[in-house]
Amino acid sequence: MADLSVSIGKLKLKNPVLVASGTFGYGQESRALTDLNALGGIVTKSVTLKRRDGNPPPRIFELPAGMLNSIGLANVGVDTFISEKLPFLSELSTAIIANVAGSTPEEYLQVIEKLDEHDSISAYELNFSCPNVKQGGLAFSQDPKVTQQVTRMLRDITEKPLIAKLTPNITRVSEIAQAAKDGGADAVSLINTLVGMAVNTQTRKPQVHTVTAGYSGPAVKPVALAKVFEVVQNVDIPVVGIGGIMNLNDALEFFITGACAVQVGTANFIDPSTGEKMVGGLNDYCNGNGIDAISEIVGSLKL
Amino acid sequence: MICSPPKSHDCIVLSNKRLSENSIYLTRLHCPDIAQNSSSGQFVNIKVSNELSPLLRRPFSICKVDKAEGWFEVLWQIVGRGTTLMAGYKVDDVINIIGPLGHGFHIKSGIESAILVGGGLGIAPLPFLCQDILEKSSANIAVYVGVRTKADLAMAELFNDFDINIIQCTEDGSAGIQGYVTKPLIEKLASKSSVPPVLFSCGPEVFLKRMVDISSEFDVEGQISVESVMGCGFGICVGCPVEVQDYAEGERKYKLTCIDGPVFDSREVLLVG
Ligand SMILES: Cc1cc2nc3c(=O)[nH]c(=O)nc-3n(C[C@H](O)[C@H](O)[C@H](O)COP(=O)(O)OP(=O)(O)OC[C@H]3O[C@@H](n4cnc5c(N)ncnc54)[C@H](O)[C@@H]3O)c2cc1C
Ligand SMILES: Cc1cc2nc3c(=O)[nH]c(=O)nc-3n(C[C@H](O)[C@H](O)[C@H](O)COP(=O)(O)O)c2cc1C
Ligand code: FES
Repeated sequence: MADLSVSIGKLKLKNPVLVASGTFGYGQESRALTDLNALGGIVTKSVTLKRRDGNPPPRIFELPAGMLNSIGLANVGVDTFISEKLPFLSELSTAIIANVAGSTPEEYLQVIEKLDEHDSISAYELNFSCPNVKQGGLAFSQDPKVTQQVTRMLRDITEKPLIAKLTPNITRVSEIAQAAKDGGADAVSLINTLVGMAVNTQTRKPQVHTVTAGYSGPAVKPVALAKVFEVVQNVDIPVVGIGGIMNLNDALEFFITGACAVQVGTANFIDPSTGEKMVGGLNDYCNGNGIDAISEIVGSLKL
Repeated sequence: MICSPPKSHDCIVLSNKRLSENSIYLTRLHCPDIAQNSSSGQFVNIKVSNELSPLLRRPFSICKVDKAEGWFEVLWQIVGRGTTLMAGYKVDDVINIIGPLGHGFHIKSGIESAILVGGGLGIAPLPFLCQDILEKSSANIAVYVGVRTKADLAMAELFNDFDINIIQCTEDGSAGIQGYVTKPLIEKLASKSSVPPVLFSCGPEVFLKRMVDISSEFDVEGQISVESVMGCGFGICVGCPVEVQDYAEGERKYKLTCIDGPVFDSREVLLVG
């Protein structure tokens, strides 16, 4: 048996395959579709201070090998998350990472203050990168100063590992990754969705209500890999790779490029057991290739 | 109603028949679990391709089931890439399907009169609804079928197994009553039969909007099955909102078509059509 475990600061994962925020609900929806405990971890839908109803429809549009979404951070809010969603997640033997979002730095702070006493939450992923809300979100990962300040503010109130989730909608993502590191983040995860758009030529209306939306799925994988590569080459911080990962081969590309873990996103909509299958496949791959530990693959890119 | 979590099944194609020259198909799939554990108005989400495009699954209402033989059917039309691939399904093909999904029609015990109204492919969930009502009650059932043209009335044959009243309309007048299906329906409702019926409808959004108005005009209970673009079909993408009026809270809010619906009380949903 190969050792698939990874450590990201204090965060210990039994394997490097997670499911991405907003693409796996709160875990319970898929309980009969996959073995949740096979995963290295579950990143929750973004949690905000108050319940958010989300954007008007249409929120989704399918494209060849990808999709646009503009959900607008619809979620139950932190109190209901704790009372109704966390109990199920707490029973699982996989890492639970709460993805936190807000319109202001204070909102992130308040959400984390409420979550922090719950031992079942292993770490926070800070959503600094949602393209679909008017305020906040993206703003926090497009200016390095702001990224560093907000991360520092949150670093000061929690002992739990912090993963800053970054946007690809910027020229140099490594500058933001460096700022997150300087602010005390334990890791960065990328990419969140790319800003994209599609038009219905018959009605001349945008295909998604908010006009622009977040582009995800297999089509974005090359962009995601390039962004991961940029951060790995320039910043000394663990990177969690996200973007268009559909199968083991996709995940291996990210590991080889230098990501120490990956998140499966859009693929869950088609098959919520994608992550579970990937863990099995990774095990077989390591055993078949004489690899004793996943760390032997991470960053093994030959340039 | 049931809230067991959705499961994934590898279903075997038993038959895939073209019913009309307008590319309407009826596909029978072997899956005892779905046949036995679904209720009318629920749907399945079909993985139409093993390639990256089309990427997402495609949702279809469960049209009919045979619990004993362990199969269910879906009734559908070619409209795009996914359904074009489905037209190629052959006997013994294995198709991955998640289901049954969603909340279906609510059949009150002791229901005495049911009127089922289908606009176009909205007919799809109604044969199963007939089965369900007949199993659970001794209600008097009438089905109103509205299609564009004669060829599509092949779908009405799905009700032949039931001893019920079928009213057929075509928009072009090539068979049955000419015009929209709502016309004879309104005449029927205006004739005030002694028992107020429950109106069950499924079809395009403009049609459903009309059905909502008709239910309120005649003050009868209405249940409508709505459609939405779907990313997942089981509540994880939050991509399928439908606006509803929450009368208790006095506010408008979103529910999810895939898990709160697709069937809603017609007074609840705020359609845009
Ligand atoms: C709960 C539910 C139940 C459904 N039941 C049935 C059914 O029993 N029989 C049936 O024929 N169809 C049904 N549909 C619609 C069916 O899912 C679409 O026709 C199908 O997804 C089209 O796939 P495609 O790849 O062929 O088309 P695409 O290439 O994706 O699209 C082609 C055209 O179809 C339209 N379209 C795509 N998806 C939908 C949708 N969800 N609703 C309406 N229009 C759409 C697009 O706008 C486009 O114009 C149902 C939809 C939902 C949400
Ligand atoms: C429908 C949908 C909803 C999403 N919601 C969130 C969210 O709430 N918070 C977040 O940080 N990322 C969210 N994301 C982004 C994903 O977590 C992921 O970063 C992105 O989709 C790229 O990965 P993929 O190509 O594998 O989907 C969402 C993505 C999709 C498709
Ligand atoms: S289709 Fe994904 S939540 Fe309804």
